[in-house]
Parts: sequence; C-alpha cells; structure tokens
Amino acid sequence: MPPIIEASAVSKSFRQHKRFPGVLGALKSLFTQQFTEVMAVDGISFEIGRGEAVGYLGPNGAGKSTMIKMLTGILLPTSGSVCVLGRIPHAERSRNARQIGVVFGQRSQLWWDLPLVDSFELHRRIYKIPADRYRDNLARFSELLALGPFLERPVRQLSLGQRMRAEVVMALLHDPQILFLDEPTIGLDVVAKDAVRRFLREVNRERGVTVILTTHDLQDIEQICPRLIVVNEAKLLFDGPLSLLRSALGSKRRLKLEFAADPGPVELPYAKLVSDAGALKHYLIEREDVSLVAVLSDLRDRADLKDLSLEEPSIEELIRSVYAGGDAQGRMSAAPPRGV
Amino acid sequence: MAGAIGFMIRLQIKTRVQYRVAFLLNRLAQIIAYASAFSAIWVLIHKFETLAGWRWPELALLLSFQLLGYGVGAALSFTQMRDLEDSVRSGRFDTLLVKPFSPWAYLVFSGLNLGYIGHIVLAVGMLVWSLSAVAIDWTLFRASYALAALASSAALVCSMLTMIGACAFVLTRSRYLYSIFFGLWELTRYPLNLFPIPLQWLLLTAMPMGFMNYVPVAYLLGKPIVVVGELGGVLAPLAGPLLVGLAVLQWRYCIRRYQGAGG
Amino acid sequence: MYGAVAQSAFQTQLAYRSQLWAHIFGQFIQVFFKIAIWQSVFGSLAQVDGVSLPQMITYAVLAGTVLSAWEWARLIQGIDVAISTGDIAVFLLKPLHYPLYLLASECGNLCFRVVAIVVPIVLTVALSYGLLPPASLLHGAAFLVFWALSFLIQFLLSLLFGLLAFWLMTAFSLEWLLQGLLALLSGSFVPLWFFPDSVTALVRHLPFAWIGFYPVAVYLGKLTPPQVFAYLALGVVWAAILGSGVLVLWRRATLRITVQGG
Repeated sequence: MPPIIEASAVSKSFRQHKRFPGVLGALKSLFTQQFTEVMAVDGISFEIGRGEAVGYLGPNGAGKSTMIKMLTGILLPTSGSVCVLGRIPHAERSRNARQIGVVFGQRSQLWWDLPLVDSFELHRRIYKIPADRYRDNLARFSELLALGPFLERPVRQLSLGQRMRAEVVMALLHDPQILFLDEPTIGLDVVAKDAVRRFLREVNRERGVTVILTTHDLQDIEQICPRLIVVNEAKLLFDGPLSLLRSALGSKRRLKLEFAADPGPVELPYAKLVSDAGALKHYLIEREDVSLVAVLSDLRDRADLKDLSLEEPSIEELIRSVYAGGDAQGRMSAAPPRGV
Repeated sequence: MAGAIGFMIRLQIKTRVQYRVAFLLNRLAQIIAYASAFSAIWVLIHKFETLAGWRWPELALLLSFQLLGYGVGAALSFTQMRDLEDSVRSGRFDTLLVKPFSPWAYLVFSGLNLGYIGHIVLAVGMLVWSLSAVAIDWTLFRASYALAALASSAALVCSMLTMIGACAFVLTRSRYLYSIFFGLWELTRYPLNLFPIPLQWLLLTAMPMGFMNYVPVAYLLGKPIVVVGELGGVLAPLAGPLLVGLAVLQWRYCIRRYQGAGG
Repeated sequence: MYGAVAQSAFQTQLAYRSQLWAHIFGQFIQVFFKIAIWQSVFGSLAQVDGVSLPQMITYAVLAGTVLSAWEWARLIQGIDVAISTGDIAVFLLKPLHYPLYLLASECGNLCFRVVAIVVPIVLTVALSYGLLPPASLLHGAAFLVFWALSFLIQFLLSLLFGLLAFWLMTAFSLEWLLQGLLALLSGSFVPLWFFPDSVTALVRHLPFAWIGFYPVAVYLGKLTPPQVFAYLALGVVWAAILGSGVLVLWRRATLRITVQGG
C-alpha cells in the first residue's frame, strides 16, 4: 500500500532580517537589508502509512511546527517534496484541506464569544458535512470526551482542557483521513491530557484515522503513538518505535526512594547513588538488562520504605543522548533505524 | 460557500447582541463624532457661503458619498486587515490556511464589523437630505449611476484597505500604513479642486480615493472635474472593480510569498 | 521621580519609529490642506471679520499642529487597558499619585511630539507660507502660559473621559465622543470668531475653547491685555472644575477597585 504521507529530503529555511544594535543600527536597517538564513528543517525524509499513529518529537525550536505546516500545506518546502494523500498539499490546498483535520495547540479556531456548538455548526457548513453524518459524529465524540455539559456554553467560559477537547472533536467532525495535531496537550491538566490521549488512541485504532502528533511530552507518545520520529536542530535523529529508542540508547532509569526517616546509607545492587538527602535518595540504574526486582530485592523486607518511583528519562535527556550519538555502544548507526 | 458566509454574519450579529448597550453607545458616539466634524465644515460654509465653488448641500452630498462608501467598504476590510498583522505573527492566520475555504472570505466575514452601521445610518441620512437639496435633474440613468458609483466607492475602500492588510504577509510591521490611508482619506471630504495639483494627481492615481466621492458627485452636479476631466464620469464606477482586481492579485501574491512559494 | 517618568515616556516614543513617519506625514497633510482651505475661502478678500489670511495661516499651524500635538486618545486607551488588565491596582500601591504619574508621562510624550513633529512642520510652513510672530511680547509670553493651560485641560478632559469608562464599560464611545466635541468646539480647525452668532456666546465659554482657540487668539493679539488675563483666569477655573471632577471620579474608582478587586 502506498504511504499516505511521504516526505523526501524536505528542507525549509527562512530568511531573517539581521538586526543591528543601537540607534545607528536602526537607521542602518532603514537603508540596507541583510539576511541570515535559518534552517528550520534539514533534509528530512519519512513515510507514513495509512492508519499509523506517529509522534513527532523534539525540543523547542527543533522544527516540528514547520514540518507540520509543510504537511498541511501552509508552507512550501525550500527543497525536497512532500506528498499527502497522493497530492502536493500546497498545490491543492482546498481539496487537501477537506480530507485532513488540524489541531493547533496554542491557536484556537473556536469563536470566543459564542456557544461551542456555534463553532461546530460553522465547521459543518465550511466542510459541507452531511447533516446526519455531522449529528452522529458530534454525538459520538461529545460522549467520548464528555463535551455534553458545555456545548451550549460560550467558549470564553471554558477551561483550556475543555477547549482543547472541543478542538479535537471539531477537527474530526468531517471524517478526515489524517489528523494533524501540533502540541495538543501543552498546558493541560492531567485529567484533560488523559482524556485527549485516550480519545486519540481510540480514533486511530477504531476509526483508522492516521494521526500525526507533534509534542515534547513523551507520555503523549507512549499513550498514542507506537512510532516516533525524533528531530533536533532541524535534523532527523530517529524514526522507529519508542522501545527501540530506549533500548538503542541504553535507558538510564532513575529510581527515587522515600523512607519514613533517614535510614542512613543504603546501598543497592546494580544502582548508583546520585543524591542522598536523608529520607529521600536518588539512584541511577545504568544497566538495562537488570530488572527492577533485582535492584530492589534487598529492600523487600524494609518496613520503613514509604514510597518508590521510577523516573523515565525526559525527552531532553533522550535527545541529548541521541545527539551525542550511541556510536560508542554501536547501537546507533549513522542512518537512523527505520520503524516498522 | 454562501451558506457558511451567511452563517458567519448571523454569528456576528449574535455576538453583538450580547453587548447591545455598549454597541448602541458606541454607534451613537461615532455618529456624534462624524456629525461634529461635518458641522465644522457647515460652520465654515455658513460664514463663507461656498468652498471652492461648492455650496453646503453639494458638500453634504460629497460627504455622504464618502462616508457611505467608507462605511460599507471598511466593514468588509478595516478591522480584519488591521488585526491581520497580529494574526500572522501569532500563527493564528495559519488556521485559516488549513480550511477548505477562501482565507480572505473567512477572515473578512468572521470579522465582519457591524460597527459601521453608525456610519451608514448617518451617511444615508445626509444623502437623502442632500439629494433633495441639490439641483440635479434626476433621470433613471443618473440614479443608476449614483448607485453604481456608491458600490464602486465601497469596493475601492475595501480594496485599498485589503492591499495594505496584505502587506502584513511580507512586512514585519505594516500598521503605520493605515495612518497614511486615513490622512489622505480625510482630504476627500473636500472638493479636490481646492488642493495643489500634485495632491490632486495623488488622489486620482496612486491613492485613487478621489473616485470615491469627488469624481462621481462632481459629474452628477455637472461641475468640472480636475485632472481627469470628461473621463471622470466613466472612470468613477469602474475604479472600484479595477482596484478589486488589483487587490485580488496582490493578496494572492502576498500569501504565496508568505508560504514560501515565491512570487 | 516624575522627571524620570517623563524621560522614560520620551524614550519609549523614540522606539516606535515607523509609526512616527506616518504621523509626520499625516500632520503635514493636515496643516497644508487647512491652509489650502483658508486660501480658497478668503480668495481675494483682505480680511474677514477682522481676520486676515496670514493670520489664518498662522492660526492653522498653531491650533492645528502645535496645540493638537498631544495624543489625548492614547491616554484614554491607556487607562482603559490598565483598568481591564488590573494594572491600575498596581499603581495604587506605588508611592506616586496615579494622575500625577500620568501627567508626568504625558508631558514626556508631548515633548517628544513637539520635537519630532511640531518643529519640522512649523519650520516648513514658516519657510513656505510664512508665519506671523506674536502680536507683542506680552501676547507671546501669554501664549506660552495658555499653551500650558491648553495641555492641562486636554489632559484633564481625557482623564475624565477615561475614568468614566470605568462605569460605562466603553472607552470606545467616550473616545469618539471627545473626538467629536474637540473637532468642532476646540477651534482647532474653524476659529470661534466664525461661528454663528446664535451659538458664539455658549461656545466661547466651554472648556474646549481653551484648547485651540484662546491660545492662538492671544498669540495673534485678538485679545486686549485685560481680556488676556480675564480669559486666563476663566481657563484656570475650568481646569480646576475638571481637576476636581477627576479627583472625585478617581477616588470613587479607587474605592471600587479596592472593594471589588477590579
């Protein structure tokens, strides 16, 4: 089956006006114009098949939003090509738009002063959704994301979490084949995040909607996307399942132990003590072939152990490791491993 | 498309109704403001009887054409275009590019400014009065001409403001351009034969606001028209559509540049 | 401390350069079209109601540019924003009295506008059409005093209208209303000498008349020295009335903020 999205050696650079400092500089900028080229996306290629759910991960400024803009037809690549649903998204903007849904994390498409349902009704008319299809989708999605109670409330009275849920529903009302989301869970509380993630997972698995999601929250990936593309500083670093990434990097798990009172020095097998604050101790488990059970075996009989938690490496740590390269361990080769 | 636009207009009305007291106060204040500015001109005429050969009812006709054309044209452009600069910078405009709908139409109609009703009410009132007070031999032709000129006037304003707005796609700061527009716009309250020749040329070529009111009204009143002379009569109803064409081209060009598609 | 506030306002204006060019352009247009109008209506008349064309040209520059240099609308908008964002509560906590802070700030703005906009325009008109000097040393000095009074009255009026927005919930309508009143009654365009007899008595005694009309009438020597002092006193009375109005409203507003939390 041909891929539903195909990016081939896509690059995007922007020209930024050089800013000169000071008053003389400001005068100078009135007469001359010098530019610096900023590379937002550098030679990235990937293929996404129909029905996949892919997370596009990277720190701020990595070029994630730029790539989404190219995939949705907002921007044209400087070089390389993008192909979505067999078309160049920019060239056939309107036709492409009909079959995709887009959710921008920090840019709302809802009408602020009016009831939520009015925004949906407008969406129905713009996308020319048949009345019964609209009704069914709205009912189904509202139920899944519990929008019912506030469909009639003005958008300005809704919390960020409620608005985001509404945005996601709106983007799916017209049964798009692909759903693009740009940082959808940013700023949401835990409950809202969970609701959105579960909904997206269901939409992907039950309805077969291809989901592309940019984020810098690993939890989004873990809950929704089996496949993950990692970018940093405009370049593609990794493309494959999260488990592969973890194993390729040698995940360093951080173990946090909280005791009822300072138990004195506590040594654990296979783990290195990194911080000791009396009752609170942090350890680093550097070997990945060791199970947590083995590490904690000595603690099994301790009654003074109040709490323990395992911290996954943050995306920044993962990126740093990826960027630093795993050549020393021979697990990361020059070409990023391809996903399933 | 018409269904969506009609719905957007309904939504705008619905929004305004929520704040109807403030809305009405604002309209009243704007009507008073324009009426006061026009009264200053009336005071002038009261003392001096004519201005550049135009009497008060004729000037009132000139003013009402200007205000009506502006009121309708700006309702479809000014606030939408002025806020475009922020919309582009914040990325909000991008959400318009992913809809199967004309970004211009969505921008304009979702932001349709019903606040110009005040302008329109005052302008229509003045228009009706001045039409009864001036010496025009009304025929069907003249009446249709006046209507065409008014429509063209609105189209002219809408196009010019849209073209300034489109600059937001290529310039980082473009809001100050509106000051230039409004500075010149105020001049069209007066007959152009009042001004030095370079200014007359400016208002009939580069910034063709003279065609909003001066040219068609002078034509209807049988007064000599500066710069374009006899051609003026024909040009006035055409100026609007011509500028619309220009605005469409420029808008498309600017968006393509924004998207990195080159000119 | 207030000096520092004024200086800071001056420098902030310096940062908004591109807007400045547009404003200067707008002001040039304004003054030149007014001069064109006066030239047209005077035609070949040497004088109308005791006023000559050269005097009207000077009037156009002084009333239209110099005395209108300060952007009162920005003050109203600034207060509106401060109220809606709640910043106004912050100013309550500062050791400055908010209205005085605003006055200092706007003085800075005015100085900037005078230097950046008024001076170039006055010079241009002086070199092209010619400007009349003050009628006498006394009138010239009195003009400066009237100029200060004009600014003060403009400031107090905008502050008054800005504070009214606190209750009316619409700074927009108050801004437009004030704009209308000033366009007609301040004499910034048509001097009050030319107004119809039926309204002249009223119009010459409204506070707006001190904004554009009286300063220039003094400059051109249209008022005798006793009249100069009389109208100065009257202007000060108006300023006092407006000032107390502002203080009353300000106190009410402060009360409402501290009680209701904005």
